[in-house]
Amino acid sequence: MQCRDVEEVLEQDGLAPLPEAARMHVARCPHCRGYLADLETIVSTAHELPAEVEPPSRVWTSLLSQLESEGIIKESAAPAKVAPASWWDGFGQLLRSRALATVTVGAVIAAAALLQLRQPSEKALPPVPPGIQVTLEQLNQQEGLVRNMHLAGASPVDVALEQNLQQIDDFIADCERHLKAEPRDELAREYLYSAYQQKAELLAAMMDRGRSVN
Amino acid sequence: MCTRSMGRSITLAFGAAALLGSSTASMAASPRIERHFVVNGRPVVVIQNVANGRIEVKSSKSQEVAVIATQNSSKINFEMEQAGDRIDVTANVADASAPPLDLETSLQLTVPEETELQLKTENGLIYVEQVMGDMTLESVAGEVHLKEVSGYIIVKTTGGSLVCTQCAGKLDFNSVGGSAQILQPALTNVNLRTTTGNILFDGDFIRTGLYSMKSGKGLVEVRFSGNDSFDLKAQTATGTVDNQAAAFLKPDSHGTVRRFGSKFRGLFGTFGAGLAKVELSTYSGTIRILKRD
Repeated sequence: MQCRDVEEVLEQDGLAPLPEAARMHVARCPHCRGYLADLETIVSTAHELPAEVEPPSRVWTSLLSQLESEGIIKESAAPAKVAPASWWDGFGQLLRSRALATVTVGAVIAAAALLQLRQPSEKALPPVPPGIQVTLEQLNQQEGLVRNMHLAGASPVDVALEQNLQQIDDFIADCERHLKAEPRDELAREYLYSAYQQKAELLAAMMDRGRSVN
Repeated sequence: MCTRSMGRSITLAFGAAALLGSSTASMAASPRIERHFVVNGRPVVVIQNVANGRIEVKSSKSQEVAVIATQNSSKINFEMEQAGDRIDVTANVADASAPPLDLETSLQLTVPEETELQLKTENGLIYVEQVMGDMTLESVAGEVHLKEVSGYIIVKTTGGSLVCTQCAGKLDFNSVGGSAQILQPALTNVNLRTTTGNILFDGDFIRTGLYSMKSGKGLVEVRFSGNDSFDLKAQTATGTVDNQAAAFLKPDSHGTVRRFGSKFRGLFGTFGAGLAKVELSTYSGTIRILKRD
């Protein structure tokens, strides 16, 4: 067995008891011993992480102001106009932060998915990790807003975006059904989380488009 | 910022009067703007095109970026700006309530052979030919066609498909509903991901290359040649693997299938010396593996 084979075994089976051939190789290979030690450290550290982390609101505020100062996003418009803003202006302001939040939600989901995939395979995997449930609900709320916004749009791009969103929703539903029946199917889980992330990005793109067109 | 942006704006109404120096403008009444930007090194061309229409980029031997914009109406405002070797072209919709036909515009660019591109559009074809340089191409519903391009190529669409012919370098493709066709490639690193689209890879796997192709519900088809050398992993959750090259693949030389046990749906195989690494997966679609004659 070669180093590459050991890495593959670790990748597939995690730190579960290694096969005899892999153990023999590790015993005489300093590179693999070091690699194994690193993995054990990472896993033990990961286990110490809290299961559910809800960032305080100041984190969002700080993140928002930093992105604004770096010019990555535009500053929030000051309420200079006395005249009442149009319904879309108000909605646009609302979505400005929501678009950012949506992408962040996607990133959180992806990170959680990675952690989830790295858990020892002995444990039964729940269909959706509880810590993510909240963010998924937020995602669904934002989807409702975006769908309402796009109902008025009949351009080919709006129609295409709606179709793509529906495709992702269908795919997510399919994956979730499958995972209820087979919760340890890691490939399905990987696709599910990838779809969540894609959905978050798509919703953010729809919001941005809504702002730029209107 | 708003003032500066307005200053940069070249609309159809004011375009002809505003063009200076090497810029060549057509008649003011004509829905066509042409500008030339002289560059020194390897230019970076950035296009933000929110309108419907085609973006075409081809290369030439000259050290200039030529931009020709055509449109059906005055409902689109073009901004073109040069900052050193960076050229920014932006098309903005002036009247979103205008009928779709009025919002159609197309951009035709001629760039030096070595040029970096950042193109973003919503609808309409993005076509790039014979350009060497890193490129990021984003589209909502439009297709992306690349021919004889090389570099680190990133393509992101929601519904648009990619056709990449004789591309070289590294390719990342990510889409919700778009498909990807990679034809006669010389790519050393390929990462294709689509949720409902199909994937076709028809060409050689470069030795030591890494190839990952994933489709949630679509068909993932790989056609390799007799000269290839790669390790193959094909995996599906609920779909099927149609291995039409079983006679050429050495099965599971690493014993990996045994480790997965009966839960594993897919195959491992090696062709030749197994120098490249190929990973194919689909959630519920079909993986088809073929050897070209």
